[in-house]
Amino acid sequence: MVTPSPRAGAHAAAPVALAPARPPRRFRPPRDIPRFALLCVLAVIFLAPVYWMLATSVKPEVDVISTPTQWVPANPTLENYREVLTSPDGNILRWMWNSFFVATVFTVLHVALCALTAYPLARMRFPGREAIFWFILGSMMIPGIVTLIPQYLMMIRFDWINSFHSLIWPGMAGAFGVFLLRQFFLGLPRELEEAARLDGANSLQVLWHVILPLSIPSLVTLAVFSFMGSWNNFIWPTFVITDVDKLTLPVGVNTFSQRYVTDYGKLMASTAIASIPVLIAYLLAQRYLIEGLSTTGLKE
Amino acid sequence: MSLSVPGEAARPREARRRRGGREGSALTPYLYLLPFLALFLVFVVYPVGYGLFVSMHRWDLLAETRPFVGLEYYRNLFDPETPQSQFFWNSMKNTGFFTLVSVPLLIGTSLGLALLLHRPIFGRAFFRSVFFLPGILTVSVMGILWRWMFDNQIGLVNAVRTDLLGMQPLPFLSTEGLAWVPIIVGTVWWTIGFNMTLYLAGLGNISQSYYEAAEIDGATPWAKFRFITWPLLAPVTLFVFVTTVLASFQLFGQTLVITAGGPNRSTQSTIQYITEEAFSNNQFSSASAMAFLFGLVMLIFTYLQFRIMARDARGEN
Repeated sequence: MVTPSPRAGAHAAAPVALAPARPPRRFRPPRDIPRFALLCVLAVIFLAPVYWMLATSVKPEVDVISTPTQWVPANPTLENYREVLTSPDGNILRWMWNSFFVATVFTVLHVALCALTAYPLARMRFPGREAIFWFILGSMMIPGIVTLIPQYLMMIRFDWINSFHSLIWPGMAGAFGVFLLRQFFLGLPRELEEAARLDGANSLQVLWHVILPLSIPSLVTLAVFSFMGSWNNFIWPTFVITDVDKLTLPVGVNTFSQRYVTDYGKLMASTAIASIPVLIAYLLAQRYLIEGLSTTGLKE
Repeated sequence: MSLSVPGEAARPREARRRRGGREGSALTPYLYLLPFLALFLVFVVYPVGYGLFVSMHRWDLLAETRPFVGLEYYRNLFDPETPQSQFFWNSMKNTGFFTLVSVPLLIGTSLGLALLLHRPIFGRAFFRSVFFLPGILTVSVMGILWRWMFDNQIGLVNAVRTDLLGMQPLPFLSTEGLAWVPIIVGTVWWTIGFNMTLYLAGLGNISQSYYEAAEIDGATPWAKFRFITWPLLAPVTLFVFVTTVLASFQLFGQTLVITAGGPNRSTQSTIQYITEEAFSNNQFSSASAMAFLFGLVMLIFTYLQFRIMARDARGEN
């Protein structure tokens, strides 16, 4: 089942609560040194591409292709960044804003829609409930490639090519979010809901004042997944968006890559800029991201 | 205990009756479901039928008529004379190769990293972040980065080969076979952190008492892994396996950005070829037929993932 993270819940409810007890951080020198050394080597290998990206991005073009290789930039310059940010072939900040706008609108609507849908499926009794739930869940078995082309033809008919509508609506009715929230809602205690009922609350008030405040960890998890999914979407926007001003960041950066095939200084500057917002988002959402990931879809 | 059981049983029934009276209209739950179901029908259910319809007609965006052709486009895929058949099965072979190589690699490396990081060690949070971080990059950034790492002349890999090891540079990107190296290495680098996190969660759920008991019996580290860790991680491994296979089938961005499917279509993935047939060649019917055939292959693994999730859903009812 999808379990709420105890730490996230405790944090939301009681910020003064002590940090949970950690396993003792014993560093057993003779035994742990090989493991530590191996981890250091792996970390260097993992960070090498990032170093190479940053180093290349501040090199003038001649230094990028010089041999022998310039391991450390000899003449660092921000020229590549300046050119990428003011390129007539497309403004990277504009693409970033497009991605942010689309992902935010999608996430807010999607989380709200999933909560509205999961609520009756988890907390009400009505004929057809199980059938509707399994019908929605069963749609997760349809591989995305099957709907790609018909959805594209629909976008033409709706006149949504080059419109953000095509980036927001087709993915809205995803079954995963409904599944995630329904599993969480099922586990909430009945008592609070019944108390609110006795006080005369209607079902919408129960959802808003009782269910949702108790579900913040799962709502945040779903929001993080939705935002990342929309932000990182690559296949679909590649085909439904062709106006350079309306591209999202991943697709826009890739058009740079096709234009400046070998101008790696500019390419690395654009990838570095494109990485900054996700880096900030990661640092902000790190805890939810990793905990949501480790609890989603896994039975404890 | 025996006293509380009837009480427990009676309470929900009573509550249900009371709620039933206050629920408002019997239509209320359906009103909640209406917006989702409307979008669901328009953007999920209808496209499946529409796609099947398109695959059985000769679809031309500009033509006046779209005649019914039945299974012609499906038959074309099994007729070795047609270019569609050649390119489609070539792309299937490429995707299959990528899946066969990358899935064991992705499971093995992420489990290995998780084992290295599970027990406390100096700087553990830092290492976890380092291995997780590449996964947050978008596929185009990751692809451009690895194309540059493996650039035929002056990429970092070739720079190390020539300047440090005194070897000849290898034209990774333009050599059939070798072009898979940057794609697979880049994919491992990119996705290892997600699976590692799942494995770390799985390792955290294994009770230490098993290991303590094994230690008393004098078990070697390998025996502890073989007889405790690996079997108890089986549910996580199944989940990682199924999701990784599905993700590998979806191969698209990595090959598009790193090699553009080349050299000579040797790294062209199935989704890349389907989109080429649809959006570059305007062969929507042919591409739809391929999508359905490919979808059928994927369905087996999608079904497995569905079962894993459905097991959780049933457990709650």
